[in-house]
Amino acid sequence: MVHNFKTDLTVDWCPGCGDFGIVTSITQALTELNLDPRGVVAVSGIGCSGKTPHYLNIAGAHTLHGRSIPYATGVKLSNPKLKVIVTGGDGDMLSIGAGHFVAEGRRNSGLTIMVYDNEVYGLTKGQAAPTMSLGEQTKSLTRANIFGKLNPIALALSAGYSMVARGFSFDMKQLKEIIKTAINHEGSSVIDILQPCPTYNNINTMEWYKQRVYKLEDDKSWNPVVTPEDSAETSGKKFASAMTKALEWGDRIPTGIFYQNKAIPPFTKRLAKNVPNYLEVTPAEQRVSTSEGYTVVDPKETFADKIIM
Amino acid sequence: MKTVDISITIGGPQGGGIDTSSNMISRAFAYSGYNVFGVREYHSNIKGRHSYTHLRVKKERPRSLKYPLDFLVALDPDTIFEHIEDVGKGTRIIYDNSIEKSDLSQARMIMKDTSDRIRQELVHSGEQMTVAGTISLMKKKGGIAIPVPFSDIVQKAISGGVPSRYYNTLGAALTLAISGVDVKFLEESIRFVFSSKEKVVEENVSVVKAAYDYCQENKFRTDNLEEIKRTPRFLLTGNDGAAIGKIMGGLRFQTYYPITPASDESTIIEEHEDLKWIESENSKLSKSGIAVVQTEDEISAIAMASGAAITGTRSSTATSGPGFSLMAEAISFAGIDEIPIVITLYQRGGPSTGLPTRNGQSDLLFALNTGHGEFPRIVFSSGDVEECIYDSINALNYAQRYQLPVIHLIDKNLANTSDFIPEIDSKRVKVPQVARIVHSPEWKRYSLNTNTGISEFGVFGKDIFWMTGDEHDELGHVTEDSELRDRMMVKRFHKLEVADSEIPLSEKAILYGPQNADVTFVTWGSQKGPILDVMEILEKEGKKCNLLYLKMFQPFPSEFVSGILSKAQMVIDVESNMLGQAANVVKLNTGIDITRRILKYNGRHMTEDEILDAARTIMGTSQKKIEVVLKHGA
Repeated sequence: MVHNFKTDLTVDWCPGCGDFGIVTSITQALTELNLDPRGVVAVSGIGCSGKTPHYLNIAGAHTLHGRSIPYATGVKLSNPKLKVIVTGGDGDMLSIGAGHFVAEGRRNSGLTIMVYDNEVYGLTKGQAAPTMSLGEQTKSLTRANIFGKLNPIALALSAGYSMVARGFSFDMKQLKEIIKTAINHEGSSVIDILQPCPTYNNINTMEWYKQRVYKLEDDKSWNPVVTPEDSAETSGKKFASAMTKALEWGDRIPTGIFYQNKAIPPFTKRLAKNVPNYLEVTPAEQRVSTSEGYTVVDPKETFADKIIM
Repeated sequence: MKTVDISITIGGPQGGGIDTSSNMISRAFAYSGYNVFGVREYHSNIKGRHSYTHLRVKKERPRSLKYPLDFLVALDPDTIFEHIEDVGKGTRIIYDNSIEKSDLSQARMIMKDTSDRIRQELVHSGEQMTVAGTISLMKKKGGIAIPVPFSDIVQKAISGGVPSRYYNTLGAALTLAISGVDVKFLEESIRFVFSSKEKVVEENVSVVKAAYDYCQENKFRTDNLEEIKRTPRFLLTGNDGAAIGKIMGGLRFQTYYPITPASDESTIIEEHEDLKWIESENSKLSKSGIAVVQTEDEISAIAMASGAAITGTRSSTATSGPGFSLMAEAISFAGIDEIPIVITLYQRGGPSTGLPTRNGQSDLLFALNTGHGEFPRIVFSSGDVEECIYDSINALNYAQRYQLPVIHLIDKNLANTSDFIPEIDSKRVKVPQVARIVHSPEWKRYSLNTNTGISEFGVFGKDIFWMTGDEHDELGHVTEDSELRDRMMVKRFHKLEVADSEIPLSEKAILYGPQNADVTFVTWGSQKGPILDVMEILEKEGKKCNLLYLKMFQPFPSEFVSGILSKAQMVIDVESNMLGQAANVVKLNTGIDITRRILKYNGRHMTEDEILDAARTIMGTSQKKIEVVLKHGA
């Protein structure tokens, strides 16, 4: 029987919320990839996006505001055999969790990170999120936003993420494909997902986005993939093209895969160089006790350097 | 047989090889068959400021340090200036005779307020503001000056090079020569310390020989120190002990963010990532190691370790006050989500950055209350290096058994204590394997159907279940149902009652000494050793003493503590903090107010002599409410 990746819980997002399209894209991607439901884990933070794991019929942790990335990293690094997806809001990922967002770029642990980008904090009644443009005033703001807009794509690229993409929650076909590529990607990926907040963001509506988004892949010459065989020059050019596209915003907004570098080794492989058998028998799977129930570690042998003979 | 009890302080600039020097001294005494106990004191500084090691050498295992010193070994002028108070009758002061003219005002690395204090003392004593003046003051206190031409001795021993680079070896050599330790033992320790560097070994051995010759010529040597049969022992710090315990306890994932004095533990684990298995259990499949991850901050450290715990990995993190403060929210999450996680909390002097490299026991009340909301946790502490080993295994066991955050307290003094441990027993504490099974569809992660509050554990990778920081149902989904909320709260706290009933009393509190005594000391952490030594001295004077040594603060052994304290004649609380935090916990749980207290919060280690003096003061007064604050320490 085909596993149903959707739970039967009542979804309590507002009618017209972009989150619905994201959950559908995730469940379709998991189904099409034919993944073992026990081999995938979803981790989230706080906010509307944080509820996602409860709606997915896989193991899920709905953690702390801003901390989904470190919790997810702990899951991944202790059991690198698991596929780990992370769902978080723009505030969750790029404001309170920005330090972890940047650090994970350097690690490249192998997480699929989805940023639910609607420019507002919905669950706390519509405050400005870090992706809102300077001077914009959505309906629940008392005054126009006096913060600059943070660029998630450019930040992810600078942080070192080996895959960076953007989706639109009302284009589930494209989003699903991006998610599939990201889950199969060995390193960590960031997918910035544009979505309306029908309750609090009356500016960046579904219509607003539909008039502006275009797909990078529609240009047949667009090739964001860096392979280990590519020269430093080629890979540099691809990074530069991604960065140029990242800066595009306004009348035209690119979606699709901006950059995918398959040459950067994931953190798990870097750890494997130091920790014996790390990938074969993961920390989660290791035996810690003997048949008699005592430690498997021989203290005299392991700590021989501490003995004064 | 002569009683051997030698106290040594060797000091010099941070980065000047003090550690190497004290290591040489400890090893040479060890090779002669003796036991050495030591504590390292240092500034929050990389190079230049005053650091020192305080050691005690005995035949039996020392448990404490004491003043006055038998040897003060100064590798620079600052050491002379800083340690005036440590000198008493018979203290040999070994120093470089070329620094005698050094003026206090030139000792720029001494903290201004410390320098002002030293100046006042010298003025008061009518001495010059120089090393010579300070030595003169030390002589008045009974000190014996041993000025040595450091540079000449080194230059005679080796050609070329910077002589001061060998001063640490020279300091060690002079101390050992005067103590009567055979030169062969120091040579052996030099070979160990500089292992692969043959040229360095040769040069240092020449310096050692020159130093021994110098002492011989000048008749500084005392009788030869009696050699005792040597046995193999572990030379371990508290940091080592905790790392070893975790490794033996099945730790497979450790996270940390750099902080003094906690990060040494993670470095030690990393150095031993490649585990050596007990032979009979060895097979290719089981060959394993520990993943140690340096995180971007302490929030990430606790979150990552918690994430690893969810996959069934025994995991932990180690930190100190500032980092622990950052972990508060995630500890609360581990509480409601019943995550088996160990946080080793190395206490240093707070608040805020406080005294970042100095001792403190001021985080006990915080550890008991970290994180918002009410949730069960286990909070316990270690008092010596050996306890650090087995307590760290137990910490991982408690976390797994009761599925909650375990906070293991170790004070900085203990973290930086070095001690000789005769043996590590791999069968003293059991290490249960985490069950990693696929449960039947009826299984619920937070099942309320238990007699213990402990639901059957499941892991990501095997079972499908949910976790949330919200109150949740048995499956782990969010709930705000008023009745379910009550049941979940009760279930979680039930685990603490079960923990209290299952964990043996000996892991919670220990009574040392007779049931009935004239004086009952109460303490926790690294004062255990010094107080046991103080008790021996007082007993020789006819005072009956006992010690109520507290280890576990949550769950707290109220009945036991109450039973002892309610019939005690005189109770004296001893702690390294200002508020008497453990005494407050005792009062909270038993209603008994301990009004006689010996406290120290200047960040320096407590010594046998000052606890003894304070105890005598308290015993000698009819005052029922008295607080003696200890002030000693450079």
